Amino acid sequence: MTGPLRALLWCAALALAAAVVTYPRYANGYYLALGISVLYFTILATAWAMFSGPTRYISLATVAFFGLGAYTAAVLGETMPWPVVLLAAAGVGVLTAAITGLSTLRLSGIYFVIFSFGLAELIRQLVIWYEVNIHKSVGRYLFSAVTQDILYWQLLGLTAIVFLVGWLLGRSRYGLALRAIGADETAASHSGIDATRIKLGVFILSATFMAMTGAVMAPRWTYIDPAIAFNPTISFQVVIMALLGGAGSLFGPVLGVVPLVLLFEVLTATLPNHFSIVLGIIFVLIVMVLPNGVIGLFGAGRWRVPAGHPATASARKMDATLLAVDGVSKSFSGLRAVEDVSFTVAPGEIIGIIGPNGSGKTTLLNTLSGALRPSSGTIRFSGTVLNGLRAHQIARLGLARTFQLVRVMPDLTVAENVAAARLFSTSNGSDATGRELLDLVGLGTMHEAPAGELTYIDQKRLELARALALQPRLVLLDEWLAGLNPSELETGIALIAKLRERGLTIIMVEHVMDAIRALCGHCIVMNAGSVIARGTPDDVLADPKVVAAYLGGDDA
Amino acid sequence: MLLVDIILPGLVLGGMYALIALGLTLQYGVARIMNLSYGESLVAAAFGAFSLYSGLGLGPLAALLLAVPVAMLLNWLLYRFLLERLMRRGKDRGAQEIDSILVTFGALFVIQGAMLVAFGGQYYSYSYLSIPLTIMGSTLAVNRLVALLFAAVVGGAVYLALTRTRIGTAVRAIAVDPNAARLVGIDVAALSGFAFAFGGGLVAVGGVLVSMFLTFNAAMGVIFTMKALVVVIMGGVGNVLGALVAGLLLGVVETAVARLVDPGLTLAATYALFLGVLLIKPTGLFGRAAS
Repeated sequence: MTGPLRALLWCAALALAAAVVTYPRYANGYYLALGISVLYFTILATAWAMFSGPTRYISLATVAFFGLGAYTAAVLGETMPWPVVLLAAAGVGVLTAAITGLSTLRLSGIYFVIFSFGLAELIRQLVIWYEVNIHKSVGRYLFSAVTQDILYWQLLGLTAIVFLVGWLLGRSRYGLALRAIGADETAASHSGIDATRIKLGVFILSATFMAMTGAVMAPRWTYIDPAIAFNPTISFQVVIMALLGGAGSLFGPVLGVVPLVLLFEVLTATLPNHFSIVLGIIFVLIVMVLPNGVIGLFGAGRWRVPAGHPATASARKMDATLLAVDGVSKSFSGLRAVEDVSFTVAPGEIIGIIGPNGSGKTTLLNTLSGALRPSSGTIRFSGTVLNGLRAHQIARLGLARTFQLVRVMPDLTVAENVAAARLFSTSNGSDATGRELLDLVGLGTMHEAPAGELTYIDQKRLELARALALQPRLVLLDEWLAGLNPSELETGIALIAKLRERGLTIIMVEHVMDAIRALCGHCIVMNAGSVIARGTPDDVLADPKVVAAYLGGDDA
Repeated sequence: MLLVDIILPGLVLGGMYALIALGLTLQYGVARIMNLSYGESLVAAAFGAFSLYSGLGLGPLAALLLAVPVAMLLNWLLYRFLLERLMRRGKDRGAQEIDSILVTFGALFVIQGAMLVAFGGQYYSYSYLSIPLTIMGSTLAVNRLVALLFAAVVGGAVYLALTRTRIGTAVRAIAVDPNAARLVGIDVAALSGFAFAFGGGLVAVGGVLVSMFLTFNAAMGVIFTMKALVVVIMGGVGNVLGALVAGLLLGVVETAVARLVDPGLTLAATYALFLGVLLIKPTGLFGRAAS
């Protein structure tokens, strides 16, 4: 951008800011009220998109938090100083969001939507019941000295804060982590991201803004009852506005807020009786025609990732045994998928796990990586017991994996996929940069490509790069070589050999026996959940028990 | 006889809930559409029955003959021209469900708005077969029993149709796995549309029956949607018997809360029960573990 143009843009931005700040000085009552509507919907929609945009957990509970904030203000407004009221509203928002978030955020998408829908109604019913039976009157009057001008400036301040927080969040590692969770939660947690905690944190943050908006808005009504404070139309309007503008970016929602607030204003004036019909039709049209919002039309709105943050290199502990699996079993109600499996892995070794389909190999890997919890037995990884640790904790200890059915985060770029795995890595393994890793696996030219558009083979390469980005000491490869053609297979085997030379320890589940022979010093053969043979590849493959397991015994 | 006073009306109410939920479980379980405008469709059918009764003097049971085909047609059109597009566009099941929830959320406001324009916000009811009848010391109106009888017949017929007919088996196959159903030659798109329309027909039955003994207004659709959702989620999606048990349970719990605690808390009890089940066992009381 050239100097004069930049200066011009700065001037325009400053002029706009000045116009917005001084708005109450020149706008009369009607236009000031309109400005207030724009601001409070901007806060609500931006706060909504902060959580629901990247995670795609659609929340219909905006009004639950907004209404609680408004009610807090109505109850405390006349007895407490205003800053205390605001803090109390924020506190109520945090508390409610923490309780609901803790219990609901592990629900999958659809159940979360329904839950949030029910939550708003539940809270409204409880407030009505409380007001009728305890307070003995349904409505409350709130007389305060807050004029429209002051209300406007309070909202403006809150708007500035919500944008600032959103911007900081987007630039922080939590922003990328949140998008990684939205793209593929399983892959994210195996990349060391604590999905539950991050979702909860952002949910609470977003609810806090909603509750504070409710408190700030409360004096506008003078009279507050549950039908006003918990009007479900508000949740609905917020979702429409954020979706119209584009929920995937910080400034998307405001692009939806401005036109829709104006439109609703015109509608209430001209078609008061048909308001909700038109509202519904507009909403259906937006979902049908503009799934990515207005901002999606410009292809903008994606935050770029900050460059990979530096890893701390430190002396690596050399243990005699890196991984010790002792008597591990896993059963699914009656079915014993893995039964009493024990083995150890020394640093720098490549262990192969082979066996017919359905013999429990992937289940075994899942218990190692924390995707499943073993029913019994212990797993020690360089001295730490892994049983009961969650996937992201195990990943952070330096145990990385790839998946049999490849899992990349499709909406993130190749570089972002790798960067996501470095966000919370605390391991002391090798510290190659993301760029080096992508070069290593052969994706050096595709940094900016969306991962979902890669070919199957390239997605497998990306998964390996992502696993390596955790700076692991042990990598679990689940049929990483499956589906490769002969020349790709050769490259793949050479790549794994190179990883071993770098000192990486590998456990590979594989059906490609050439690879097992070429790479593994030691092999474990599983059948029907148990280990039936172990030793060098040549020895176990000659074992009659192994041949029988693959080809069927005499009686088969 | 407090116990009978709770159990008997509770079961009658619960039977209605089970019938109402049956349509939703078909729409969601088979067509994969979580229809948030479900309750509004129900109230619309209730208004239809009211208009026919007060305008033309047609009894609600005759109204069924008119309301059901109309509702099926409208629901089929909704599926064919809006929802099916979303189903084709969505990248995965999650995206499809979110999109369809949003569109039916929009439909909720359209239907509700239309009813508000036509009937205003006040409550409506009409008197049909409201003859008191005493059973085991507890008093019930005849219209409630007629409604329950109808609900039982319709529910039983749907259950038999799903389990005993060819088309019912195909519908259940889609509920389990639409992709696999396609592989064995089932026309998934057409049958999904049919199941959605059929669910719409069932909701019309529910609406007409409810109108015989409840007062209703244009804004109370959400309550029915929530109750149907509670029953569907509790019973397990697509599980007809589960819906029956969950519906009866909900009816008894509501009646008990109304009698023993506070009538003002029945709705809160519904939601609390619902949120509780979602948290503890989101796949339903009889559902299989999530894969």
